Amino acid sequence: MSSLADRDILSAIPSAALGPGNSVPSAVRRPRNPVRRYRAWADRRFFALAAFPAFIVVAAVAVVPILLGVWLSFTDYQPLTPSLSWAGFTNYEGIFSGPNELFAHSAIINTLIFVGGALVVETVFGVLLAVVLARPMRGIAVFRALFVIPLMVNGVASTVTWRSLFNTSTGWINYFFKLVGLGQPNWLGNAHTAMPTIIFIDAWAGIPIVAIIVMSGMLLLPHEPMEAARLDGASAVAVFRHIVLPGIRPVLVFAIMFRMIDLFRQFAEFQLVTGGGPGVATTVLNFFVYQQTFVNGDIGFGAALAVLLVVMMVVPLLFLFRFARRVR
Amino acid sequence: MTLASAGSGSRAATPVLRKSSGFGTALGKRARLRIINVVCLVVLVVSAAIVLLPLFWLAETAFKSPLDAYVMPPKFIFSPTLVNFRDLLQEQSDQYGQDLVHSLVLLAASVSVALVLGTPAGYALSRSKFRGSRAVSVGLISIYIAPALVYIVPLYVLYQKLHLTGSYVSLVLYYETFELPFVTFMMRGFFSDVPLELDDAARVDGCSRWLAFRRILLPLVLPGLSTVAILAAIGSWGEYFGALIFSGPSTQTAPVDLANYIGLDASDWGALAAGSLFLIVPVLVLVTFLQRGYLRRITFRGSTG
Repeated sequence: MSSLADRDILSAIPSAALGPGNSVPSAVRRPRNPVRRYRAWADRRFFALAAFPAFIVVAAVAVVPILLGVWLSFTDYQPLTPSLSWAGFTNYEGIFSGPNELFAHSAIINTLIFVGGALVVETVFGVLLAVVLARPMRGIAVFRALFVIPLMVNGVASTVTWRSLFNTSTGWINYFFKLVGLGQPNWLGNAHTAMPTIIFIDAWAGIPIVAIIVMSGMLLLPHEPMEAARLDGASAVAVFRHIVLPGIRPVLVFAIMFRMIDLFRQFAEFQLVTGGGPGVATTVLNFFVYQQTFVNGDIGFGAALAVLLVVMMVVPLLFLFRFARRVR
Repeated sequence: MTLASAGSGSRAATPVLRKSSGFGTALGKRARLRIINVVCLVVLVVSAAIVLLPLFWLAETAFKSPLDAYVMPPKFIFSPTLVNFRDLLQEQSDQYGQDLVHSLVLLAASVSVALVLGTPAGYALSRSKFRGSRAVSVGLISIYIAPALVYIVPLYVLYQKLHLTGSYVSLVLYYETFELPFVTFMMRGFFSDVPLELDDAARVDGCSRWLAFRRILLPLVLPGLSTVAILAAIGSWGEYFGALIFSGPSTQTAPVDLANYIGLDASDWGALAAGSLFLIVPVLVLVTFLQRGYLRRITFRGSTG
């Protein structure tokens, strides 16, 4: 794994996430000799002191807010009215019935469409692009470096740019469509094309990221089994299906998890490109929570929706995690 | 394995294939290989064009006068102007320039806090095995990957009660929810790559744990540390959601200001493009510059050198 790290800045991510050393230090065993015993105690004290400040800060900025958020989801807190009282499961019931029911339902469905759709698109095209990128060709290093760029580009800047490119009357996309003789869809204003357009915008960064991660996995595979299979008459597709795919499975699962985490918390694409519209066609859960909490000021309901978002995210992640571990 | 060795590996495979098949089929194989190469090249060029399209638009629109920017069909040949940069940095009382400074201050503060606290913690996690150390790692990753809202909603309430909204403190504290777990976890990985024998050798030579950490281990993981610092800095520089909620007039970050230039009907595309370049170019320059230099040396085989 560590040999993967000398290639570029990006490869640090999979190498550290997939193969963190879990070695057991010899110094920690409890020795009988009093001097050594003192040393072991001093060691433990040193480690505790080294980790303590980070531990306190993480507890203060992350653990406390999480608990506070869960508690808020059971209250009717609204910043404009000073009252705060226990609301029980009212906020959770509000997701499934009441005035916000329809909005909440479409937000849940839109989240599933966006995350599922983008994940399929980015995985399929990402793996295809990785196959091409992993081939030895003259000048391939230029392309490998080029496809890292979307990862570095500021999210606000790129989404704003796409918003301009997809503009119906002055956007370049429709200009190109006109040149080729195609129609001029109202990409972001039509309920049927808005979500696919957002998925495309996300895939602009997502496909290259998946491709680069999967490619680094492919380059680490040994060549001998593939060559032997080709000599025995296996087709290129069969070699990919039975040798390459099983080999890159851990890296592929990592890339899918990486993208899924990102997709569930995508925000700028919705706030800056469509504003959740037209209507509620692109209002995903993450954006709906933002609207409920910071635009409508209903913090309790927003907190309950945030809890729902976490549950929706954790279930597929746990499934993928189990899948990844079974492979090894 | 490097890229070069991967390339030579499969190039060496070609003669083997040719030897096994007859002369006639070898030619057929070569023609097929050429077709595959052409297809691959087309795929690469088309994808590269799509990747570069928004960047090309940005670089072009930033130097177009407002009149040229709205013309349809788009003018690809035009007389470049700096009027967008002047508008952005001068006419609105230099709001954007100040916001870039706010972003830089926030970046420096949040990344330093994350590095100073996270590096020793990563070392401790890599070297000490205690009950629940696995749970700590899982917890760190969970905190890192949790959606931003999980922190933003309760922190918003908390900051209002404490009158912190709009301050650097509120932003730095929020940024630590992703930077600190990230730095700690990554550094744990880099320290784990350093063999334990180095710690033991330093101890035998009379170093205290702290001295061994500072004098021997820290220099060894410096390449990793710089990578982690750059990744955390890029994360801070591009962060939008938290800055949108927590930053006030005196701490507003550049991405938040940039988003203000989007209008409901017409947006000031020239200013947007010029402002975007300020966010994108420094990152690209930094990464290409550093990648060429010492970031390459991330791999180290501890005991052998």
